[in-house]
Amino acid sequence: MASVQISEAEKVYIMHGVRDDLRVDGRGCEDYRHMEIETDVVSNTDGSAKVRMGHTDVLVGIKAELRRPRPNVPDEGYLEFFVDCSANATPEFEGRGGEELGVELSNTLYKVFNSHRSLDLRSLCVCPGEHCWVLYVDVLLLQCDGNLFDAMSIAIKAALFNTRIPKVRVLEDEEGGKEIELSDDPYDCLRLRVDNIPCIVTLCKVGHRHVVDATLQEKACSAASLLVAVTPRGAVTCVRKLGAGSLDPDSIFEMTETGKRVGKALHAPLMELLQKDESLGKKRQKVGFLA
Amino acid sequence: MPVDTKRVRGPEESQSPVLFLPPSTQSPAGRSGQGARGNADIRPVFTRCGLVSQAKGSSYLEAGNTKIICSVYGPREIERKDETDMKSGRLVCDFRLAPFSCRKRGAWIQGSEERDLSLALLESMQPGVCLHRYPRSQIEVNVMVLENDGSILAHAVTCASMALADAGIEMYDLVLGCSLRQDGDACLVDPDVLEEKGSWQSGYEENQGRVTLALLPNLGQVSGLQADGEMREDALPAAVRTCIDGCHKMYPVVQQAILRAVKKKAPPPEK
Amino acid sequence: LSTNVTCFVRTAEPLEYHRSFLKENCRPDGRELGEFRPTTLNIGSINTAEGSALVKIGNTTVICGIKAELALPSSDAPDKGYIVPNVDLPPLCSSRFRPGPPGEQAQTASQFIADVIDSSNIIKKEDLCIEKSKLCWVLYCDIMCLDYDGNLLDACIITLLAALKNAQLPKVTINKETDLAEVELQHKRHLQIRCHPVASSFAVFDDTVIIVDPTAEEESLCRALLTAVTDEDDQLCALHKPGGISLSAEKLQDCISRAVTRNREISKLIDKVIQSTEMSK
Repeated sequence: MASVQISEAEKVYIMHGVRDDLRVDGRGCEDYRHMEIETDVVSNTDGSAKVRMGHTDVLVGIKAELRRPRPNVPDEGYLEFFVDCSANATPEFEGRGGEELGVELSNTLYKVFNSHRSLDLRSLCVCPGEHCWVLYVDVLLLQCDGNLFDAMSIAIKAALFNTRIPKVRVLEDEEGGKEIELSDDPYDCLRLRVDNIPCIVTLCKVGHRHVVDATLQEKACSAASLLVAVTPRGAVTCVRKLGAGSLDPDSIFEMTETGKRVGKALHAPLMELLQKDESLGKKRQKVGFLA
Repeated sequence: MPVDTKRVRGPEESQSPVLFLPPSTQSPAGRSGQGARGNADIRPVFTRCGLVSQAKGSSYLEAGNTKIICSVYGPREIERKDETDMKSGRLVCDFRLAPFSCRKRGAWIQGSEERDLSLALLESMQPGVCLHRYPRSQIEVNVMVLENDGSILAHAVTCASMALADAGIEMYDLVLGCSLRQDGDACLVDPDVLEEKGSWQSGYEENQGRVTLALLPNLGQVSGLQADGEMREDALPAAVRTCIDGCHKMYPVVQQAILRAVKKKAPPPEK
Repeated sequence: LSTNVTCFVRTAEPLEYHRSFLKENCRPDGRELGEFRPTTLNIGSINTAEGSALVKIGNTTVICGIKAELALPSSDAPDKGYIVPNVDLPPLCSSRFRPGPPGEQAQTASQFIADVIDSSNIIKKEDLCIEKSKLCWVLYCDIMCLDYDGNLLDACIITLLAALKNAQLPKVTINKETDLAEVELQHKRHLQIRCHPVASSFAVFDDTVIIVDPTAEEESLCRALLTAVTDEDDQLCALHKPGGISLSAEKLQDCISRAVTRNREISKLIDKVIQSTEMSK
């Protein structure tokens, strides 16, 4: 993953700051950086969102396609994740490096989001055993400045909120043959319930404390971080230790506690923002990529 | 799909006979079939060091029907020289599932699940190895699952740390793994493959999840943690504690096996 | 001191070191020229496979797992099933193998095993057909080396044969009404093994000295390698001699005779292990 080299003196400075709950950019340990969220940014997807967090920039597009359900779960649709680590984001992504990270990130996203309880996968089923909607979630990393996971999860949640899947009906003719009919009205579409979709909070252990939304400099001071995916109700859907270091059990408990607290607090303003954005409808000012 | 010209190929498509079973007969889960294993019990573990003659160190571990073999090569000269930090050594982990190890046949080409497991294994092992003692060199850990009957990542961690010890690689501590399956209020330690999956219906029930933890037992540090599913707030810390206990239960067995291997390599002087 | 010197000679002049032993009609590991390493067999230990076997020849350890799947027969052989053997030499088994796609040696071994299966008719492919042009079995015979110390091919053939003898397939019928396959796990039957091929490998040193069952070190030093596969009727099924120096017809005849006795020994071993495995159930 993207990283920076910093000197020992800088490390000490950052660690002392974190100890006193004052970070280099003036934040407290549990504060996020300024965040910009925009939905419906790519017109030829079924749902999209762009999130900017500090200098980290992530674009998510969702496309829905009709496919055959998986044989072991015939009455559910499913999600597929693909993370593209653009070489523009950081030179490290050139060649194989980006590819490996992409697989790693998409595997983790799959674990976080593809739970029955976070998204109603049954609503994606059109005809059990034969047709279901598959949501292809494409994540494009435009710029990396730390905390990729949190930015990606927020962008995915926003894009899922924005997703509109055309309504289809299954017609049966006399001979028992089935046909799929697409609704004529383009505004007649299926929306996803995103109430229970988790957000990822990555906590970086710096010294004896941990920080939320670490920058690359802060990450360079830390040996281990903990990824916690939290639903709005406070249930944990995924935990993963990242990095080369180890953690003692007590700090794991503290970090998951903080993760839950921060994650819960993140959901309400996010949903409010998304709803407000949508209520503006056509009047919404498009910012796009020039922001 | 790229065509694999380096292997003997079969038909384009084939399906496991399991898919053609009537749904009612498909694997009822439950710990009762296993006999008298309590929810907090780990399966009996059989383990040996030094079975692969060609490797610097190796180990074999059997827990219930789960069978894992691991070999360690190195330290040898680093292969990819573009790494910026040459002051410390590099640990390379390769996690493979044999094609016949699961109920459904796996492919020879490493899939995303195996890559994910390789990474998880690496992150769990790294904190235990004194990599600063091996500058400019790499240590390779190859894990092969011969039969998957659940908790493979946890047992692979234990198996890998035994192989590293057998290879004489300097370590801060052993690394032990343990996993559990949270199924409602029940908490099944060291689940087998049926318990791991549960019925797919149970995905809709409360408090479902899987946790795998790696522990450095003497330092009391957790070197790897993976949890997925959807667990209640209080269930996760409890699960972490249970896994730590589970790791400690493995410790004497692992110590015995290493001791045995050391005695075999360097027999104590006869009095 | 003397062990140090031997060690040095072994590393610096490996060929001379081996020759000094061969002159005395023995080998560095204490074997005679025509002696195989102790061979042990374990059958049916992998429960996830339809059939499995693990064989050890000295240090060399090879495991074979057989998975059966259902497929559509190919159009040019509608009454035949498939047997798909593959040999893998993972980096686990020796430092000489790297991760990634199979190397030359693994490819050659896979092809050799496939040829032996075809030429010896271990299993008639017609036996694997369930319904002509509709459904047949595919037997994936995945062979994996866990410890590489020479003589891979012998080990592969033994483990393949033992795993095939161990394999049991469930009964499958096609439901006439729904036209779908129905699998009955309660009714399982063994495969019909029509031929029992066993391989014996030889290494040639200095034009004339022939040793059996070479170790990895001997394989790398010898001037030619030869593998002969014979069946229980003393017929030659396959002969594999990848390059190296030429060999007189007489010497070749000696090798084949040795292979014939080896076949008897291994057949006995397989039968004994299968019997004791069944007894313990």
